[in-house]
Amino acid sequence: MCTYKLSRSELVELQNKRLRWLVKYVFERSPFYRRRFIENGIDPESIRTKEDLRRMPFTTKADLRDNYPLGLVSSDLSQIVRFHASSGTTGNPTVVAYTKQDVESWAELNARCLEIAGVTPKDVVQVSYGYGLFTGGLGLHYGAERLGAKVIPASTGNTKRQLKLMKDLGTTVICCTPSYGLFLAESARDEGLDPKRDLKLRVGVFGAEPWSENTRRRLEEQFVESAHDIYGMSELNGPGVAMECVMKDGLHVWEDHYIVEIIDPNTGEVLEPGEKGEMAVTTIMKEGMPLLRYRTRDITILDDEPCECGLNHARIKRILGRTDDMLKIRGICVFPSQVEEILMKTEGVSPHYQLIVDREGVMDRLMVRVEVSEDFKTDRLTDLVNLQQKLEEELKDTLSIHAVVELVEPKKLPRSEGKAQRIIDMRKI
Amino acid sequence: MIKQLSVFLENRPGRLANLLDVLERHNIKVLAMGIAEAGNYGIVRLIVDRKGEALEVLRGANMAVNETNVIAISLNDLSSAVRTLGKANINIDYAYTMDCQRVILKVNNEAEAIKALSGAGIRALDV
Repeated sequence: MCTYKLSRSELVELQNKRLRWLVKYVFERSPFYRRRFIENGIDPESIRTKEDLRRMPFTTKADLRDNYPLGLVSSDLSQIVRFHASSGTTGNPTVVAYTKQDVESWAELNARCLEIAGVTPKDVVQVSYGYGLFTGGLGLHYGAERLGAKVIPASTGNTKRQLKLMKDLGTTVICCTPSYGLFLAESARDEGLDPKRDLKLRVGVFGAEPWSENTRRRLEEQFVESAHDIYGMSELNGPGVAMECVMKDGLHVWEDHYIVEIIDPNTGEVLEPGEKGEMAVTTIMKEGMPLLRYRTRDITILDDEPCECGLNHARIKRILGRTDDMLKIRGICVFPSQVEEILMKTEGVSPHYQLIVDREGVMDRLMVRVEVSEDFKTDRLTDLVNLQQKLEEELKDTLSIHAVVELVEPKKLPRSEGKAQRIIDMRKI
Repeated sequence: MIKQLSVFLENRPGRLANLLDVLERHNIKVLAMGIAEAGNYGIVRLIVDRKGEALEVLRGANMAVNETNVIAISLNDLSSAVRTLGKANINIDYAYTMDCQRVILKVNNEAEAIKALSGAGIRALDV
């Protein structure tokens, strides 16, 4: 742990030093960034500290798409040892390229993530993120291996086999999406297993989609002893950019590898710690495809106070939403996480839901479909009507717009083994 | 006192058929049925011949189902039963008929209701 236990000032000094290296590196090697510097009249020599970085324009997902596939690769192609790609639901996929050193760093960061969540070499780590072009599976796989733990590369799918592996191999750490975690817990109960008694899951490493404190409570009640949030994206290596330590009060960003800025998504202005905005990240160690001020589209809050766990790496709050996940309904921003938070604390409904937006005339309508839980006990219609009304009132209080709640039968909404598909926006069709 | 099964169902074509199919596949006979609906969903109330098994197979089919105590009386006793319960200040939450001869009553206090009914000479029936 000592390798990354730097003081705050040592960290900042290291960041500035690595930033200077990065700026020189991309100016010399990347035609894309060289053009950026020249077009904006910025002398790379003048970027000396994190504060100077603010003069640089942002790099966006659109830049990656426009320069598909390898236009943002800075290193010599002969140095590239790996490609990953994110799904191209809206056009070209995003391809990312790693040098040998990048793969090394990535493994190291994921090993740190596991370590600060309390994972040790004695643990049996089941990686139930997808293996392949998606970075989740391999990222945590390498991290767990680097830590010296025993790895089960289960990947996604085949829930029965997942549970059997957990039981037979004594899995103590599970890595998957939070929605799949809840699904695994539910499936275990269907198989007659009590996960808290019949399985040995100590730590859960849940990421790849935003989740709430209430989901944590459910996961810890029903599935694992301690549920931790992990953050990352393929553009920034993959998982392992930030991780919740044992204090579970924000995710430590590995600031010796990444510079994080929180910006106003509309103006691009840098916000103060404590203010909510979009996270922009500069990779100060990546060689293959380094990015300057990459707009993650994730909404969070930065906290640079020291943590009780002893680490000085600044923390981000769990992701509050995404700028592109954000639904604008009648001019009001709605994040699925806000809906989830309410459903999670309400007795009688399950954590599975779907948001459907459509337009009637010129009016947008939001419908929240939610499953009645199997153990909801009533023969009285009024209890259901009350449940529906209570949910509608709480949604109205939180979202400031009216949402129609539709109660559906248990297990009727689609389950996903990767990222949950929770939004159906019919306005675009 | 007899047991009724209450099942949450979406108010869409085919959902009730699906429920009855599950019961039929397991040779469970429906003796009485009542439906209460509110917009997109409703509750189906059932009296069946093999309640324990029905509960199990419906849960196995991922349905939200539970048991409720109800009272069955003869249709001939209906008006005197209703009067008796009213006098005893017992509320009837809902009711439905069974095989043209009996009425199923859900009241807010079963024990008191049975006592009041038997005091008036009205017998609570078995299925």
